[in-house]
Amino acid sequence: MEYAIKTENLVKKYGKNFTALDNVSIEVGKGDVVGYVGPNGAGKTTTIKILSKLIRSTSGHAYIDGVDVNKAPREAFYKVGALIEVPGIYDYLTPHEMLTYFGKVYRMGNDQIDRRIKETLELVELSAWEHKKIGAFSTGMLRRLVLTKAIFHEPEIVLLDEPVLGLDPAGIVEVRELIKRFHSGGMTIFLSSHLLGEVAEVCNRVIFLNKGRVIASDSIKNIESNMKYSVINVRFLEPLSDERLEALKSVQLINGVELEDNIARIQFDGELETSSRILRQLVSLDYEIVSYSLESMDLEDYYISIMNENKGAD
Amino acid sequence: MASWGVMKGELYDIYLSTAFELRKHLRRRRLLIIAALAILVPLIFYATTPDTAGRFSIASLRFLSILMIISAAMFAGDAISGEFESKTGLLLFPTPQSRTSIFVGKYIAALITTFLVATLYYIIMVLQTIHLYGASEIPPELAQSYLTASIYVTSVVSVVFFFSSILKRSIASTILGFVLLMLVLPVVSGVLSSQDIEPWFIVTYSGELIISVLGQRSLFVGPGGRVTLETYGPDFGPGIAVMAVYTVVSFVASVLIANRKGME
Repeated sequence: MEYAIKTENLVKKYGKNFTALDNVSIEVGKGDVVGYVGPNGAGKTTTIKILSKLIRSTSGHAYIDGVDVNKAPREAFYKVGALIEVPGIYDYLTPHEMLTYFGKVYRMGNDQIDRRIKETLELVELSAWEHKKIGAFSTGMLRRLVLTKAIFHEPEIVLLDEPVLGLDPAGIVEVRELIKRFHSGGMTIFLSSHLLGEVAEVCNRVIFLNKGRVIASDSIKNIESNMKYSVINVRFLEPLSDERLEALKSVQLINGVELEDNIARIQFDGELETSSRILRQLVSLDYEIVSYSLESMDLEDYYISIMNENKGAD
Repeated sequence: MASWGVMKGELYDIYLSTAFELRKHLRRRRLLIIAALAILVPLIFYATTPDTAGRFSIASLRFLSILMIISAAMFAGDAISGEFESKTGLLLFPTPQSRTSIFVGKYIAALITTFLVATLYYIIMVLQTIHLYGASEIPPELAQSYLTASIYVTSVVSVVFFFSSILKRSIASTILGFVLLMLVLPVVSGVLSSQDIEPWFIVTYSGELIISVLGQRSLFVGPGGRVTLETYGPDFGPGIAVMAVYTVVSFVASVLIANRKGME
């Protein structure tokens, strides 16, 4: 398989005592949108900075489309667009001036630069600001502008490091939508984030990183299908009396019950068949049920469970 | 063949970086401010007009060194450190452009602007000389002074550029470069001279050639202050060589250091 991004045993040490990355080997397939997830300080930004030649690794290799970024950076970086952390921006320039410069760096012709300025600024809804000084932009506008710079030369691969950092909820939604649009255009996206909702929404694969080590990696589909649903939420027509609650707790397949008003959280073994049998029993015991649903486990729960496992391993 | 292609690419990147940097200087109005100074400062010398055109040139050129150092500090002081401090490097560096071509372009832009400032100063001064004394009175040594100033420009820009590569904060690199060239090195020169040691290896001492080629030896210790030397004055050849060494060593060291600097 051809990989858009690949690292081999990447190690980054700061001094003798701190290891930011400890033999990190990751692979991102072409056309994938991969979330790179971990708590603050896990090594996400360090990995992306090595991939984008902002820092050097202590050892190991980083490849972009099969090209070693340290050996042939020029070749590697024609294919990559990057948005790393919250970059500073030349606020005395206009988007037109800034993008024209980067267009020339990517050896785009004048016509192509003009076309892409129109296209990308329209995409991020900044067309009206093309010739305005960047210093007058809001945080959300700046974020959208630097995203524009990342995709300006129509790269095959985009590295995004915490792309919604510092944005308000509306800005976050806008950026997520943009990422989805980039992917639908065929780009490979490597997205570092500590926001699991964002990753679950836009990525098809996820790599979990903790303390500089990769602790898990799988497709979102696999993760979701492997998640166990161990709680059923049942809403009754009326709050249960103490007697009815005790009767509920005594149902053989139920492991425990938490009741709040007329809603019960029923713990069971997680098997779908058991859930079905519990429902049948409740109906046969004349409980007046309004709704009956499995409490879904999300990426956040999965993350917490693997982090706990990792803690245990340490 | 392939290496020529790479070289062509690098040269084009240097050109792009230089043009982008000049555009930024224009947008930030720094160039306009320093150009205004280059035009206005020589006009001050209308207030006192010496009896000869040579003396007028010497009086006027005393301020040129200061202006060149201000210009170098303004245009080279934050050239490298600014990209790291303000994190604009996060936009600039992850591209096919090599850091070397980016920094060389920045250096050339600082050189061009400071050179333009010096040139503008000389033009105004020559026009004043023509106005006050007539075209025939222009000292022929002025051309040599101008060429010396052009070489001095490269050394002061390189020294400030070096500080920009080693320091994290642009204000620190700007001030340190300025203070070193304006104060520390002239004071050291003065102290060494007073101890009967010729400070031939100090670049600001070599910078005195700009005036001494017109027939006067003097050492600046700061704006407005001057110590006239009875014994020492820079010789032309060694003086130019010292400037060249400062230029090459500081510039090469700057680029090497900046290339190794991590964007943490």
